[in-house]
Amino acid sequence: MMNWVFGIMILIGLAYFTAAGRGADALTALASGCQGAITLTLSLAGTYMLWTGLFGIAEKAGLTEKLARLMKKPVEFLIPDAGDAAAPITLNLAANFLGLGSAATPFGVEAMRRLHRGGNTASPGMVMFIALNASALELLPASVIAVRTACGSASPYDIVLPTFIASLAASAAAIISCKALSRLFG
Amino acid sequence: MTVSSYVLPTLVFALIVYALVKKVNIYNAFIESAGKALPELLRLIPCLAAMLTALEALKSSGALGAFMGLVSPLAEKLGLAPPLVPLILLRPFSGSSSLALLRDVLTEHGADSPIGRAASVLVGSTETVFYTVTVYFGAVGVTKTRHAVPAALISGAVGAAVGVLLTRVM
Repeated sequence: MMNWVFGIMILIGLAYFTAAGRGADALTALASGCQGAITLTLSLAGTYMLWTGLFGIAEKAGLTEKLARLMKKPVEFLIPDAGDAAAPITLNLAANFLGLGSAATPFGVEAMRRLHRGGNTASPGMVMFIALNASALELLPASVIAVRTACGSASPYDIVLPTFIASLAASAAAIISCKALSRLFG
Repeated sequence: MTVSSYVLPTLVFALIVYALVKKVNIYNAFIESAGKALPELLRLIPCLAAMLTALEALKSSGALGAFMGLVSPLAEKLGLAPPLVPLILLRPFSGSSSLALLRDVLTEHGADSPIGRAASVLVGSTETVFYTVTVYFGAVGVTKTRHAVPAALISGAVGAAVGVLLTRVM
């Protein structure tokens, strides 16, 4: 899937550049995309290390094991093959819910590693986990509220309830479409 | 905002106290785990580079703009205001560009206008799907993502549609 998304985006972009007679700009644009990856990763790196480190402390203290035992049933309801990924999955969804996107990423990566069944093919648990992550279930969409406040909104929190309901609908759609599509993508 | 300003420091404080009471060598535990972060981040860079490069190709070539011009009349027939179209198209790829776009929409149409509220809910209830897929699958070296992308995009489309419709009644 990503193979086609990537290929088609690059091809359309290059065709447009050439058709507009701006072929010389094309490579500059592509390189700036790569440069963006370095900048983005560097800006993530500090928070990423912090939360990975704190997760390590929680693990050594036996807290992640406790959390996993507590959350095993609810997590396995959605992701039957969760196994020992239950703790990072819970932490990832909780961090997302509280609007701590940057803390959510290292937990998510740890969850993916524990859901990995080897090879280069996604396991069913991975797909469900990704789909749930994509539904943006969040208590307070802080970044949107901040933009609304900056743009002079009289009631920046006005959108919290409709946003939450829409996210719930998105989560439900993620679960249903995951189950429905799994037969199509052996 | 308020949540993270109370909850987080308290949680981290409690974690450190608990670990110290349990006689965990927290210094070693932190170093050991934080060290694992760097190889993970290094593995992420090429995956992010591929996605951002493809996005940049579409953006700077003008292809994205042309596509939006093409789609806008169609979207309008479906009852979707034209300023919302670029938001919907960019949202799956980039969080920072969709927030910048949201700012533009809110400045131009007013944050509390119907379009401004629809745009806010749209951004709040959807996620950067391709970023999530790239980072999470990239980190574990999975390239065959099966139905993850379609399922995530369907979920996003439902979130966006429900969100935009809700702002008309709420």
